[in-house]
Amino acid sequence: MRSFSFAFRDTVRLIRRSPGISGLTFLTVLVVFFFVGCSFLLALNTRHVISVVEGELVVQAYLQPKADLDGLAKKVEKMPHVRGVRPISPEQALELLKARLGNQSAAVTLLGENPLPASLEVRVDKASSVSGIARELVSMPEVEDVVYAGKVAEKLARLSRFAEIFSLFLLVFAGLAGALVLYNTIRVAIYSRKQEIEVMLLVGAMPGFVALPFVLLGLFWGLTGTLAASAVLGLLYKSFVNSVQNTLPFIQLVDNPQLYLKLALVLIGGGISLSWLCSWIAVERHISEAMKPS
Amino acid sequence: MEIRMSGVTKTFGEDITALEDVFLSVPKGDFVYLVGPTGSGKTTLLRILNRELLPTRGQVLVGEYNLRKLRRTKVCQYRRAIGMVFQDYRLLEERTALENVAFVLEAVGAPRREALDRAGEVLDCVGMWRRRFLYPRELSGGEQQRVSIARAIANDPRLLLCDEPTGNLDPQTAGEIMQVLLSINASGTTLIMATHNRYLVDAYRQRVVELKMGRIVRDQERGRYDIDEEL
Repeated sequence: MRSFSFAFRDTVRLIRRSPGISGLTFLTVLVVFFFVGCSFLLALNTRHVISVVEGELVVQAYLQPKADLDGLAKKVEKMPHVRGVRPISPEQALELLKARLGNQSAAVTLLGENPLPASLEVRVDKASSVSGIARELVSMPEVEDVVYAGKVAEKLARLSRFAEIFSLFLLVFAGLAGALVLYNTIRVAIYSRKQEIEVMLLVGAMPGFVALPFVLLGLFWGLTGTLAASAVLGLLYKSFVNSVQNTLPFIQLVDNPQLYLKLALVLIGGGISLSWLCSWIAVERHISEAMKPS
Repeated sequence: MEIRMSGVTKTFGEDITALEDVFLSVPKGDFVYLVGPTGSGKTTLLRILNRELLPTRGQVLVGEYNLRKLRRTKVCQYRRAIGMVFQDYRLLEERTALENVAFVLEAVGAPRREALDRAGEVLDCVGMWRRRFLYPRELSGGEQQRVSIARAIANDPRLLLCDEPTGNLDPQTAGEIMQVLLSINASGTTLIMATHNRYLVDAYRQRVVELKMGRIVRDQERGRYDIDEEL
């Protein structure tokens, strides 16, 4: 407890004694985590846009004349990767046709008896599931024919896979680059205290006792930097979403207050953990060097 | 603390031999002057005893510690049992004189208040109490030396290593510091002091170990700085 109170006092002293280095490290953490957050939002929005398009994909299954529409709808709904099923009776199909024809809907009366079959409009969770579900529907005895946009689904599935890999790569890259920049900044900041560390060890201070103020300093930089990065990112992203909604309303960006909170928590948690790790590794390296007799 | 060095050799690189085949035994509570010209190996010997350097060959036993085999946590424990006054002071630049001394005590777990009180006491002993709130850059070389001495004795060390502790002091202050060191030694602390101060060695006669080119060339009880003509 005494060590901790000493370390806490020493951390405050380190911050106050070198406002320049502290300010620079704070700014670095802010910028690094701002870009990590941007990468996160970019990845999230890419996947969101693709999932919206994927959600529009439907498989239309036309049924045999005597098939039980509602029974089959319930059965299909339970199939994996099915997001929703809309049963369409022959009467509803006729109404839809009329609505689509508009002014020329009177032409439908020429058909006499309703020739349209009952059908199921099946929505899937992702583009890559479309062909599998279509195959399963075709194999059902109640289904006469299946219509779906096979080529589009295939292209979309490829795009979706690419987006997944891209977002993962982006996040890993941003995380690694951030960690590297942060580690080096903290290392340089601790390097300026190298002599102090050496003297402390020469007079018998335990390595943990020497390291604690520097680790707390790293945590302080991580916390304040990521808090500021989260605030800046939240404000800028909100105004970006508003301006996109005003100018390009057909593009739907992720806009959810809970998302901001989660993103801030991820950034702050990541920042604190990363800063702690970086400062611990950096100070430990100096301590090992200083304690190694030549 | 008793010191036993047997066959200690220290080389730097391939061709610089700082110490060569040194055998030295210092009983507990002894006061030893290390004398010799610059580059004779005095500082190297002290740095080996402070475990900043490892001997290239030979064994060093200080009290219950075998300095060749000390693990990291034991090194800290060992350094707490000893005190060292460095030639270049090695004070923490961003701490006041009082904090420089109190830090050592806090590092061994003393409460802050207690550490500050004790730091004040030892600073008073070395005549630095009035300047306790000044930073090292605001002190003269001699004053920094005195703070360095205060820091080394704050923990009541069992062994005190002093590398030119009076090097930057005027004769009167050097005499005062000697009195402090002698009183520490009188309380049972083993003291090894490397010095060039002929006057002090001759005035306060103690055991003298003379080094030349890394070798012990003289080990004399109650000796002078130079070899006695009578011997």
